[in-house]
Amino acid sequence: MASLAKIVIPNEKALTTRDNSRESRSRISSYSLALVTFLTALLIVGIIGTIVWKGAPSLTWEFLSQSPKANMSAGGIWPMIRGSLLLMGGTLLAVLPAGILGGIFLAEYAGRGRLARLMHACVTSLAGTPSIVFGLFGLAVFVLLLKWKFCLLAGWLTLAVFSLPTVVLTTETAIRSVPDSLIEGALSLGLSKWQTMWKVVLPNAMPGILSGLILTTGRAAGEAPPILLTAGIYYSTSKFELNSGMLFQPIENLPYHLAEGYRQGGVIPDRIVWGTCLSLMLFVLLLNIGAVIFRSRMRWKQLQH
Amino acid sequence: METTATLEGSISETHMSAKMPIVHVRQLSVSYGGVKALKEISIDIPKNAVTSLIGPSGCGKSTFLRTLNRMNDRITGFRCDGTVEVAGVNVYAKKVDMLSLRRRVGMVFQKANPFPMSVYENVAIGPKMHYGTKGAELDQIVEDSLRAAAIWNEVKDDYKRKSGLSLSGGQQQRLCIARMLAVRPEVILMDEPCSALDPVSTAKIEDLVIELKADHTVVIVTHNLQQAERISDQTAFFMFGELVEYAKSDILFNDAARRETQDYVSGRFG
Repeated sequence: MASLAKIVIPNEKALTTRDNSRESRSRISSYSLALVTFLTALLIVGIIGTIVWKGAPSLTWEFLSQSPKANMSAGGIWPMIRGSLLLMGGTLLAVLPAGILGGIFLAEYAGRGRLARLMHACVTSLAGTPSIVFGLFGLAVFVLLLKWKFCLLAGWLTLAVFSLPTVVLTTETAIRSVPDSLIEGALSLGLSKWQTMWKVVLPNAMPGILSGLILTTGRAAGEAPPILLTAGIYYSTSKFELNSGMLFQPIENLPYHLAEGYRQGGVIPDRIVWGTCLSLMLFVLLLNIGAVIFRSRMRWKQLQH
Repeated sequence: METTATLEGSISETHMSAKMPIVHVRQLSVSYGGVKALKEISIDIPKNAVTSLIGPSGCGKSTFLRTLNRMNDRITGFRCDGTVEVAGVNVYAKKVDMLSLRRRVGMVFQKANPFPMSVYENVAIGPKMHYGTKGAELDQIVEDSLRAAAIWNEVKDDYKRKSGLSLSGGQQQRLCIARMLAVRPEVILMDEPCSALDPVSTAKIEDLVIELKADHTVVIVTHNLQQAERISDQTAFFMFGELVEYAKSDILFNDAARRETQDYVSGRFG
């Protein structure tokens, strides 16, 4: 015991004398951190503030629920909102099975060998690849090679391919964060690896998996480049119908509308462009809030029953 | 080291014949990535009895426990030599059915690990997955298991709705015992099941362990020497990956043959 006491007590001088240079250095670093944080916050508030300031006046019920009128110079943006919702819903369904299976594979079956690390590196770099690259991929494969032309289906699949790496990674993280004690508990009962995955790991990881899925596809639905090259249309005069025919029709949507709004230079009034911008921001914001509420409700249910 | 592999002399002949070994281990050595954790352990653990494994931290007692149901397999670099037989199953044979082995050898962990589902579902999952049990029969198994784990009275009103996670620590541990009992294991491995519990909960688990030995064989790792003496029929003392001494508990705690054991149980080190 005597030797133990000697080890535990550190250099007494270090505890009693004040180390001035170290303290001032730590003060400087905390001030500069605060400054950077403040500037970042200012930037975000500035961007959001501008959009809200300029977009809010046009954000009326009519604006959200009506079609454009008078050659886009008046009316609302309902077809674009509808298109974005459709794009996102289809993307979500398309990416769900592949994303979850990929995440399960990386987390539980790939192991930690060289091949697994390589796959991981590939998925991670794909997740960081600019969306325009996926747009070109969609253009080459779905629009040109498969001859689907610009259509909703091509948009779905392009956005799904774009979201896939991120969904795989968020799923993998959600699965890896399931406590090992639960997995050991299931295995010790004699459950097979697959039963353990299906009955214990996945239900536990599900809140994380689904919220990752919603956030990722929500972000994807806000991306203009992939849609620009595969599915987007400025304005369709044909009547929209919710049936299988829509799959091979191009579709209006918020980010494309916004991009075109500026490219056309003055055809669409600024008022409508800013309104669209705010709507797109709210669209993504609502999805994020929805995902957070959804996740905490699921967690709460698991705890309380 | 020539270890006392069986309980020679310490248990009477009649006693021995009534309690045939259900765990039979010979020359077991275990290493993790080349680091030896267990060195040539040979031990027989009798049926329908409680056997404690004691020793300082890192002595290999948990490693030993987890070789009995192959829970160490998940650790990378794990390697083992020697023979391990549990309930007639050659545990490390190439073709062993791991799932049926683990069904016959249940385990309770240091930290209670109920699944995030209802108390009922926690207990029902084993029989459902293994035997496809359902309906009234499953209800009965769940109730019996909860009763056997002495938690029925505390949860009977809302056990189909209440989440296993909303129970107290001691209740969670008994729920885990019920969950394990529901698959009807022959051997029960307990890895410091009381280390995170208060004295009242600990006493409940100890009573439970003593009741369980009527139909099960219990092997329990514990740091609580009084607990080992109270509940176990025999005790094995591990140190530095070796089995130093193995004897009936009252002998090991009061009249140990080896100096290291005497020092440890009297609190002179460890």
